[in-house]
Amino acid sequence: MEQQTETKAEQKSARTGIIDCDVHPYPRNTEEIRSYMKQPWRDRYNGGGRGFFGNPVQGDRVDARPPQGGPSGSDPELLRKQLIDEYGHAYAILMPRAFCNLHPDPDFGTAIAAAFNDWLADTWLDKYNADGVFKGSITVNTQDPQAAAREIERWAGHPHFVQVMTDSGARAPFGQRQYYPIYEACEKFGLPFAIHPGTDGMGINVQPSPGFPTHYIEWHTCLSLGFQSHLVSFITEGVFERFPGFKIALVEGGVSWLAPLMWRLDAEYKALRSEVPWLKRKPSEYLRDHVRITSQPLERPDNDNHLLQIFDMMDAEHILMFSSDYPHWDFDSPTRAFPKLPESLRRRIFYENALEFYKL
Amino acid sequence: MGKHVIGAVADFPAGTRKTLILEGRPIGVFNVNDTYYALKNSCPHQGAPLCVGTVTGMTLPSAPGEYAYGREGEILICPWHGWEFDLTTGKSVFDPHKCLVKTYDVTVEALESPGVDTYPVTVESGSIVVHV
Repeated sequence: MEQQTETKAEQKSARTGIIDCDVHPYPRNTEEIRSYMKQPWRDRYNGGGRGFFGNPVQGDRVDARPPQGGPSGSDPELLRKQLIDEYGHAYAILMPRAFCNLHPDPDFGTAIAAAFNDWLADTWLDKYNADGVFKGSITVNTQDPQAAAREIERWAGHPHFVQVMTDSGARAPFGQRQYYPIYEACEKFGLPFAIHPGTDGMGINVQPSPGFPTHYIEWHTCLSLGFQSHLVSFITEGVFERFPGFKIALVEGGVSWLAPLMWRLDAEYKALRSEVPWLKRKPSEYLRDHVRITSQPLERPDNDNHLLQIFDMMDAEHILMFSSDYPHWDFDSPTRAFPKLPESLRRRIFYENALEFYKL
Repeated sequence: MGKHVIGAVADFPAGTRKTLILEGRPIGVFNVNDTYYALKNSCPHQGAPLCVGTVTGMTLPSAPGEYAYGREGEILICPWHGWEFDLTTGKSVFDPHKCLVKTYDVTVEALESPGVDTYPVTVESGSIVVHV
């Protein structure tokens, strides 16, 4: 049976060729998650998102709301119709939104992460996944790295979990040593570590801008600030030297900032190498071996050539992976979000980079 | 260019809409305060089904820190990315000259019944005709 499923998936990926690296499945209701929790957490958990900075217009695609009720992204049939079948996806990398690492109580955060993993494994990675199109992310609570490492170990070897994920919201940059149990586990089990926006400035996490911005438009635009800080931290702290097999995916953190940030870091390195003597290469040279970045929300300058030049500068051919962010409001259509690309580049971005990164 | 009767005025009250396909084109028809408007049901941005979006008002241009809300019922929000469109013109709010959706004429007409004497009709008894 497993063999048949694999064969079907292989045929499908050969036929179509889109791997979507950011798709959000939702539980039908809070009870679905609560049912996977032990007490005392079950009674304490009441769902809840990040709390502030909700989109004032609409946070999701209005047409993705299931007619029978429940949140967008909670009905596998509708998601398949609007995304998988509509665009011919070979695989969708699922990223649940647990918002677990904003809680002051690390045990509560860990319990929420575990419940989301149990839920995802039973539903989207099993009951809803006869053809194997859905690949999952192991949610971890970065506020308790030892517990996070145990959670990774609990799922390692599962046929459909392909990475570990957390929110970009944190108390400290992700290159720092307190997080290393997580990266050690990721490396040991061959799972990339994905960072997705979510709890910046929420709960116990710091806001990566000078204070709190007033509006959602500011907060959302500046989500890339946290990603930039995390990336510079990963590189300069020597995480990729300490864990040579460790890889990260920067999901929904913006794209076009990458090349100029690396130019700046490389320039700084020429003068300040002595501060980080463990680096064996120019900072930017770690990207191809260790870092992937997903496309949505793709910046679109008025002149398409400017974006194509940015793709060239940032080595998009090797590190950019397509993502749609379905069913959120800033969904990028696989057919409309990009300018026309050379076919070989399109194939790298929409399929091959993710195929290799996730070993699909 | 074809005329398409899409229903009776009596069945299409203010604040309601219909989405349909006419001559192969997806179109949304809206009754905005008893005036009818028709727009292509495809957002010029990424092709979302524009006409299933929320109909609302908008914050009008104002001085910094001031809010003036108006045009209730005349603004259509794209269901995907939230771009605002003026239902009465098809033009986007953020860039009316460069970003706009195609509009179609809508008239209210008495239905012609061949072979039968016709009589003047009130608007209420008319039919809504979209001109594609």
